[in-house]
Formats: sequence, C-alpha cells, structure tokens
Amino acid sequence: MSTIRGKAAIVGIGEVPTGMYPDRSFIDAAISVSADAIKDAGINKNDIDTVIPIGVVANSLDNANMVCSWVVEELGLGSVAKSNFQLMSGGSSSANALKVATALVTTGLSKAVLVVHSDRMGTGLDLNAAITMFAKASISQEYEAPFGFSQLALAGMLQQRYMYDTGTTERQIASVVESLRKWAMLNPNAMMKKERSADEVVDSPMLSSPVRKRMMNILADGAAAFIVTTKERADDMTDTPAYILGMGSRCTNFTVTAQPTNIIKAWGPAAKEAYEMASVGPKDIGVAELYDAFPTFILISMEILDLCKRGEAGKFVEDGHTSPGGKLPVSTNGAMMAQGHTGAGGGVAILVEAARQIMGKAGERQVKDVKYVVETASGGVGMDFHVGILGREV
Amino acid sequence: MTQTNEYTKPLPLITGLSKIFWDGCKENKLLYQECKDCGEVIFFPKMFCTNCMSQNLGWKESKGKGKIHTFTVTYDMAPPEFMPHVPYALAIIALDEGFRFMSNIVECDFDKISCDMPVEVVFERATDEITLPKFRPTNGN
Repeated sequence: MSTIRGKAAIVGIGEVPTGMYPDRSFIDAAISVSADAIKDAGINKNDIDTVIPIGVVANSLDNANMVCSWVVEELGLGSVAKSNFQLMSGGSSSANALKVATALVTTGLSKAVLVVHSDRMGTGLDLNAAITMFAKASISQEYEAPFGFSQLALAGMLQQRYMYDTGTTERQIASVVESLRKWAMLNPNAMMKKERSADEVVDSPMLSSPVRKRMMNILADGAAAFIVTTKERADDMTDTPAYILGMGSRCTNFTVTAQPTNIIKAWGPAAKEAYEMASVGPKDIGVAELYDAFPTFILISMEILDLCKRGEAGKFVEDGHTSPGGKLPVSTNGAMMAQGHTGAGGGVAILVEAARQIMGKAGERQVKDVKYVVETASGGVGMDFHVGILGREV
Repeated sequence: MTQTNEYTKPLPLITGLSKIFWDGCKENKLLYQECKDCGEVIFFPKMFCTNCMSQNLGWKESKGKGKIHTFTVTYDMAPPEFMPHVPYALAIIALDEGFRFMSNIVECDFDKISCDMPVEVVFERATDEITLPKFRPTNGN
C-alpha cells in the first residue's frame, strides 16, 4: 500500500504571542501569522492555492467571515486560490487539517495549503459565556444536560478514573503543570511564564475533584499558521522542512458517556498506525508535543504512545524527565496549561511547535539533535485521538 | 404545584425518541433499548441499531443497578444554573444491563464515593413533566 510517508512537509510556521490582547484585532492576528508562515517558508504567496481556516469559537461573525474567504482577500490570493474552506473538529482541528492538506498536495489537487487559526477566547468572550459554552457543547441535550456536566467536570472524571486505575498520585499529576510551566518560561509566545511548583498546584483549591484550580488552563487570545506542500517543492524552497512521516487517528464518540471505557485500548491503534507509517518507534522519539487541555490527558497520551508503560507516566514526569534538560521533553511550548487555551488553537499551537522543533527554530527551548517528533490532538470531550510524526529527514 | 416554577436547572430536550425515555422515568422506570434482530444493547436511545442498522428496536426496563465508572464532585466553576447547588456529585454509571448513564450521586457522603462503588437508581421529581433518575450507594455500602 502506498503511504504519504515523506511525500509532504510543513515548510513554514507563524505564531503571535498567546494571552490577553484586547487591542489586537482578530483578522490582524490571522493575517500576521499567515504572513510570517509565508516568509518563514520562503514561498511565493501566489503558490498558495488552498486556504484552510480553522473554526473560530469566541465570535460567530469572525467565524462566518473566515468561512467566506476573508484570508484569501486579505492576502491577495484572489487570482490564484482554488479553495477556501473551514476545517473544524475542536481540539483536533490541527491534525485533521494536516491530514487534509497532506492529501491535497500529495494528490496534486493543491500546490500549497495555508492552514490558519485565530481566536480571541481571552478578551473576545466573557466569563459567563465561556462557562455556558464549555458546559453545553459536546453533551447530549436529551440525556446529559440535566446533571451539571462541564469541561471541568470532564477533567475531573477523567483524572478520577486514571488515578483509580493506575495509582498515580495527585502530586504526580501536578508535576505535569510544573513541567509545562518550565517550558513556557522559555517560550516568548506563552502566557503563563511564572514558575509553578507541583506543591503549589496541590495546595490550590479543589474545583471538581480531583481537579484543583491550578490544574486548569486559562482561555487566551492567540493565532498560528502553517504551510504544507510537497516534498519536491519543500526541498526547493527551504533548508528546514518538517517532513510528514506518519499519521494515525481514531474517532470514537460524541458524548463522554459513550466514550470507550478503555481509551488506551480504543485509541492505541492511532499511535500504532502512525509509528508504522513513519517506520519509527517510541524509542526514536526526541520530543513529544502532546495535546493537553488538562494535565491527566498528557499522562494518558504518553501511555497510548508507548512512551511510558501503563501507569508509569506520572512518576516519569515527577522525576523531571519531561522538563527542560530531561530525557524526553514533552510539550515544549507549555501546551494549553501554560501557553494558553485559544479554542481550537491548542492543537494548532502544539503542531506548530512540533514543526518548530524539527526545523531547529525553537530558540532557548530547542531540543538538540531532534530527528523525530510525535504530536497529538483530541477534540470534543475526548471524541478522537490523532497522532502525527514529523521528521528532519525522509 | 409551586415546585414546578422553582426548578431552575436545565431540563432535558424532549424529542420523539427521548420522550419515551423520560415518560418512563415519570413512572419510575429506567428504560433502555435492545435490538430485536441482533440483541445489541443501545443507549442513549437511537433510531437505528448501532451494530446492525436495524430499526427493529425494543424498549426494556433496567433494574437500575450498576457501578460508578467514574465521578467528580464539583465545588466551583459549575455551569451557571448549577452554581447555587454546589457541591454536587456527577458520575457515569455502568448499569448491569451493559449501558452507561450520566447522573448525579445523591443520599451519601461525597467523600466516600469511589470508582466501582455499587449504586442503584432513585427517581427525583423535577417538574410535573420531568423526573430525573439519580443514583445512590446500594444498601450496605
């Protein structure tokens, strides 16, 4: 069977700082990250014939306008673009966009694809609206709505069962926050650049057991973009392509009530497929850019990816192995827990960071001699799981 | 009934299909579906069997007993309508018949709730139209 292994690459990335930026307009952020990605790739902007805007959560009019080719007009692509269409699968939009972009360029339907995300979850959405949204989306109105479910309760239920199944301690889970903050301190685009110890996390108030206040992410404004093209074009235009070597995914459910009881088993094949397509194994991975939303999900993802044995991820993190200088750096942008939660952008940021590490452009937090990066994403209440492997060489 | 006007939390969306389930609850019955062609247990209720796509689905009454798959006790940052009611315990219950249901755990000390704890259904009237199935620890636990 022919695969896409090494046939396409991320050639350029752009990102603005994540945080509270009331004076930064939605479209200015979207266009500036697109321009940065074009410049970074060294691509002629007129070679971009497909634009994929990711769904916007904070403002429905901005979302509708992105659907209606706003970026095509702003970038002056009107004489060359063939398609502009939105891609939205919540937190996994990054992975699905990478999948679609890769398919488009490797089949010859597109020369180059620009994927762009912008959202103003920090200053464009008020707190009550945010709570309502995070308590109403992705739940069954017929059967779940009467009982008080929310994304926070989701985090509580996931962590509760994980701790019960594995014996992972609260402090080990808190260590994920400590590790992510250490990375964020090295990331100029991160929001939470203050050190946060695991003990401080454990001492913070209980919100929805066993999730404490400092295990929560914070909503933020942010934008990021990346450009995908074929290997041949990539090799002509840049010295630092991030080759797309493998991807795998599983989409299992809408509600958390219907989520598979054993998500490690249900989503494991996504990792297996990605590794097999890339012809690499867990031991080859230099950096793991793992989607979070909340800390337990990083531990579960490490186990799905076979980076740790079942139940051992918490100790691995507590021992410092995922922090700067550790043997397996994890989520080197700080992920949503420390870079900030930008709606569907958390996955885009983690994918852009994966490409950045492969390209060798991660500044102070650059991990040395990275050959392969694994990255993940998940949407909804944990409705799916996507694994991608990027490499420096094919 | 004054209580009808006082209920401020969200009520379930009633559709042609969900009405059958909620009418069951009003009679203190917890209903689920079973495919008459392949035997698949189906919940939440569906139009088509999720295994064989048959529309030949029947309703059965659950005994209302099961175990807590997972749970959380929410103390803060609840959805706005639930803020006056914190703390409350939310759980996913694995019923003995092989389906799962999201509900609240009631009539117990929240600190004593654990995963895999046996629970049983108890029906709580919300309004004239809606009765909510909730769960409490089974006697002896």
